[in-house]
Amino acid sequence: MEQKSAEAAGGAVAGPKAYGFLTAVESGTHGVFGGYLLVDPWGRPLEFHCTAPVKVSRAQQILFGSTLQSHLHGQQIGGTLLGEGTVTPEVVLTDLEPMMHVRSHTKLPVALIRGASSGSPAATFGSAVGTGSFTIGNASVSPHVTDAARGDDLRERLEELAAAVDLCEPFERIRAAIDEAQRR
Amino acid sequence: MTADPAENRLVHSWRATELALPGVAVAPRVEPRIARPAALRFPIDVPRPVVTRVGLFDTRPAVQSFHFQSPAAQPPAAPRRMEPPADSAVTSLHGLPPEGLEAEADAGPSASTPKRTRIAPPADVVKLSERFFYLLQPDLETILETSSLEFPRQPFPFQFDGMAFLMPRHGAVLADEMGLGKSMQAISSIRLLVRSGQARRVLVVCPKGLVSNWTRELADWAPEILVAVIEGDQQRRRWQWSLTDVPVKVANYEALVRDRDLIAELGLSFDLMVLDEAQRIKNRSSQTSEAVRSVPRRRSWALTGTPVENSSDDLVGVFEFIAPGHLHERMSPKAMGAAAADHVLRRTKDKVLKDMPPRLNRDERIELSPEQRETYRRAEEEGVLRLSELGQEATIQNVFELVLRLKQICNFDTFTGESAKLDCLEADLEEIHASGKKALVFSQWVETLGRLRGRLSRFGALEYHGGMSTTARDETIRQFKQEKKHSVLLLSYGAGAVGLNLQFSQYVFLFDRWWNPAVEDQAINRAHRIGAVGAVTVTRFLSANTIEERIDEVLRRKRDLSDTILSQAEAPAASGLTQDDLFALFKLAPPRSAAPIRAAA
Repeated sequence: MEQKSAEAAGGAVAGPKAYGFLTAVESGTHGVFGGYLLVDPWGRPLEFHCTAPVKVSRAQQILFGSTLQSHLHGQQIGGTLLGEGTVTPEVVLTDLEPMMHVRSHTKLPVALIRGASSGSPAATFGSAVGTGSFTIGNASVSPHVTDAARGDDLRERLEELAAAVDLCEPFERIRAAIDEAQRR
Repeated sequence: MTADPAENRLVHSWRATELALPGVAVAPRVEPRIARPAALRFPIDVPRPVVTRVGLFDTRPAVQSFHFQSPAAQPPAAPRRMEPPADSAVTSLHGLPPEGLEAEADAGPSASTPKRTRIAPPADVVKLSERFFYLLQPDLETILETSSLEFPRQPFPFQFDGMAFLMPRHGAVLADEMGLGKSMQAISSIRLLVRSGQARRVLVVCPKGLVSNWTRELADWAPEILVAVIEGDQQRRRWQWSLTDVPVKVANYEALVRDRDLIAELGLSFDLMVLDEAQRIKNRSSQTSEAVRSVPRRRSWALTGTPVENSSDDLVGVFEFIAPGHLHERMSPKAMGAAAADHVLRRTKDKVLKDMPPRLNRDERIELSPEQRETYRRAEEEGVLRLSELGQEATIQNVFELVLRLKQICNFDTFTGESAKLDCLEADLEEIHASGKKALVFSQWVETLGRLRGRLSRFGALEYHGGMSTTARDETIRQFKQEKKHSVLLLSYGAGAVGLNLQFSQYVFLFDRWWNPAVEDQAINRAHRIGAVGAVTVTRFLSANTIEERIDEVLRRKRDLSDTILSQAEAPAASGLTQDDLFALFKLAPPRSAAPIRAAA
């Protein structure tokens, strides 16, 4: 699997601090669209990458079974999108648990975001969500199991951004952009 | 079954095969009858099974990428949340946050979630990358909070909507009802465009009397932006136009017309041109309209509370500035409304400020005094007789002259100086003055204002009209605002109906009626606007059984036209003050075909 981005190659692109927001939108007609938004510390967009829709066949559903979502989101969509970024984010945030599996395809820390009121997802056996969840602003942040020990580091990395924007909010922008792309 | 690597597909073939049964070994002495062949062979055709290959996501999805430029200006390290100041006129109504703000916030997904305003791309932005540029921006509140922009007070949610409407548009008409803060919304949008590097040269054009208002508002809402006012002799104006390090220039319409050639000679162009009171260019063939449209510019915004004053043509005139050719006169009001929809934003106070202090309308029907009535009767009879004698030679000018004369008599008896209206006004002002409140009195005539001032001097009456210098007018406003002894401000419709913020006044009197209800609304909204500290009582004097009542009937019919176009409804039967209307005031037939009378507006 070829990774284009600097992060995938293990290098870091010097430049403004950036944060990645990764999600997917399912369309009954077209399939699953992926979107990856890179913003600066004030929440302003730097880059946006979106995939063509990926349609899952019935056979694929049967053959992948319970691993389908993690493969689809983590590798096919998430891995592909992260490979397109030209700046290296401090952290990649997602609001979809299956997308957490993208951590297997990147060296970047990945965390799951939820509205603080909805609570942190429990870290269960086999789950990509690790322990060490914390709340910042209106968001609950749950690092990937691989990054579970880096809770303090992640909190520090996110503090500047969280002072400017609600960490759940950029996902709305991605969804609005994907919705726009479908209508055009 | 074989694989054909060249074609990357499976090849199924049918091949005969054999079924062999093992033979039985027999001893030599055993009966040969039971001897059997060593094997039985049955040829069978066995088809290879059909195999379908399932693709397991062996190709990556295609990706489209978009890159955005970072704004030139960097926000501060520590973003700041805007809080409404305690002494804000808006917040101090009842010691509570702005009602409109609360109402809007409650309309959101959660009562505890503050309203977030998105900048949506306009319909005429076609490129996906440009649409994404807007869609992927943070909400407007976040942009402001992270941009170290300070405001004198927290904007209302609908004002954020106005900024979100203006900012992405190259052609826009902000047509909010008077008093909703059009200039503040435009200035805040200008500020954001300048700060983000999207606009470096901005030209604001406004009526002469509003230049000082604009410089004051720019200083309040965009204090860090340098502003140059185009004024003085030609040499000075040349220098002012040539300034390159001043982002915002403010010129009045007359200066723009005068300097049209100079602008061309200097090769000036603007990233944004804003017209205040843009109804000034409704007549496309006017010098003003031509001069405005000749200025090279990238973005064109028009601010007007009355985009349709007399007829739908008015809006076509404004659109020739913001989006030439987009509208034309032959469109039905409904079609025009639909075509204009994405370019026009209009809000009314009753829609966005549901809890704003009410406006109480009071039509004061006044009987003329006996002497006034007699003077009026004679003047009308003589006038009508003269018009009848003129017959087909009667012109609209003749009719106007008669109307004006009769209206003046309704104000003051030309022989005795008696005025039933003034008697009534005086009585009302006694009470207003005693309660320490303030009143605005509008008239069509400067002469009337002078006569009123004489009789109302004990209320500290001040005058404000076009015959005064800008400095004198500014000083009058200052005195009226700050000095308690001045309970009454007498204004002409021409100078006082636009741009002034007099929301500390609780009473408005229309001593005589203007030709156009939109202008009357503008006058009333000097007091009934954001920041109004209580109900505003509007008294419209109407002399009973006179030309004033007949004009009022026509005005009532006209009042619906603007709403018709802006709400895309069907047009009412009567849409403007026509020659027919004017002649009909005296039950006379018009000499020729009826046409809208622009001069009357």
